[in-house]
Amino acid sequence: MRQDGSPVSGPPVAELRGIRKAFGSKEVLHGVDLTVHAGEHVVIFGPSGSGKSTLLRSINLLEEPTEGSVKVLGVEYGPGLEPGGPRGKAVDLRRCVGMVFQQFNLFPHLSALDNITLPLRSVKGVGRSEADERAAAALKRVGLLPWAASYPSQLSGGQQQRVAIARALSLEPELMLFDEPTSALDPELVGEVLGVMRTVAESGMTMVVVTHELNFAREIGDLNVFMEDGRVVETGGRELFDHCTSARTQQFIGAVL
Amino acid sequence: MNTYDWGLIWENAPLLLHGLLTAIEVAAVAMVLSLAFGLGLALMRLARAPFSWIAAAYINVFRGVPALVSVIWVYFGVSLLLGVSFSVFQAGVIALVLLYSAFLAEIYRSALTAIPRGQREAGLALGISAGRVFRSVTLPQATKIAVPNIGNMFIGMIKDTSVFTVIGLLEVVRVTQNVVSTTFQPFVLYTAAAGLYVLVAFALDLLFRTLEKLMSTPQQGRVARAVNSRRRRQLEVIASGA
Repeated sequence: MRQDGSPVSGPPVAELRGIRKAFGSKEVLHGVDLTVHAGEHVVIFGPSGSGKSTLLRSINLLEEPTEGSVKVLGVEYGPGLEPGGPRGKAVDLRRCVGMVFQQFNLFPHLSALDNITLPLRSVKGVGRSEADERAAAALKRVGLLPWAASYPSQLSGGQQQRVAIARALSLEPELMLFDEPTSALDPELVGEVLGVMRTVAESGMTMVVVTHELNFAREIGDLNVFMEDGRVVETGGRELFDHCTSARTQQFIGAVL
Repeated sequence: MNTYDWGLIWENAPLLLHGLLTAIEVAAVAMVLSLAFGLGLALMRLARAPFSWIAAAYINVFRGVPALVSVIWVYFGVSLLLGVSFSVFQAGVIALVLLYSAFLAEIYRSALTAIPRGQREAGLALGISAGRVFRSVTLPQATKIAVPNIGNMFIGMIKDTSVFTVIGLLEVVRVTQNVVSTTFQPFVLYTAAAGLYVLVAFALDLLFRTLEKLMSTPQQGRVARAVNSRRRRQLEVIASGA
């Protein structure tokens, strides 16, 4: 269900089935299912160590699940299911899925603009001058065109994260993943990043957001997923924040909101 | 007998400088090759077994071999063993590459591991191929970290050429020995030789400092700014929204 009550009817963009992930002998995801439909905004929240980030990172295979199926835009990438069956290559998946990191992960040796032209040129094969134009347009969208020549070290955390969002968006992904995008920011700078994310959400982008900003989640979340100890405890629409059924969800939301 | 004839330095300056040039040539060629082999070794060292074992074994052996032993081994040993005869220049280069690729491998390894994992992940998440991520994201940042140490290695290489006098390479020490044998002024001439090494070390320090500035972001120093001026102007035009 969307926030306005209309059902999310788009085709599934990402389907995770029975995702398990173990680091050595320690399993951190114990069989998680998640379906993300086109245009849907999914928010994943929960205490630290609950496996939120690991789940998000298995969508673009930065974490290769130990078991389960990862299907993105109809192509199977997971290690589970149908041995020997057709399986997509991670690099192709990642070309359709953008990601924003907690630590921004801008390339410090490149200017803000060249952080965007590098992937445009190497992934999209765009020529130098067109890459400059498209990168400039991407920076303009996040209000940072005047900082095009600046290096990451010359930008505030909020500005760096906005460049990182512009960088991911410039590749025109079908799905955007946000891994605690405001957790490393000074409280003052959180607002500008959420503002950009709000614009992205309003543009109809399919999004999966791991966040502790539950007010923001309540605002954009079509599907809200509460996780703990590597499992999904409860899912729901906006009403989840006011009427959750699990006592643990209630306890967490009460403590954060 | 006790008088020092400092004029000898001036008289023999062309010979000494030619020796210095030879030393720099050997070291420079060896440095280029060592950088390539060193990077390869570093990547092997960071790869899975058995590659990492092979690289670790190589590094641990050749880091410990003195240049004098290396060059005698290459010039007299290997040429006998394989039936190929190296020129003194070639033998000098090979001897240095054998040793210094081990050192440079360690320099590269520590620099590569110093790059946060998130850098590679960001590149991969953007859909950039692993090879391109290495070339355009990881390696430039690692090289920047490695440059000061590479500079030190280069200075060490030039000094190590002095032992190649044993195979008859006409570098600074060999030239000095030759002149001493006819003039009997070792103090004067070896002081001149030391002076030359110090001068080169000084010049290299300057060169590598400039390189460091060139790779700093934002670029510091006049040379660095001049080199990057074209792209910087382009970026400034773009930033102005024109």
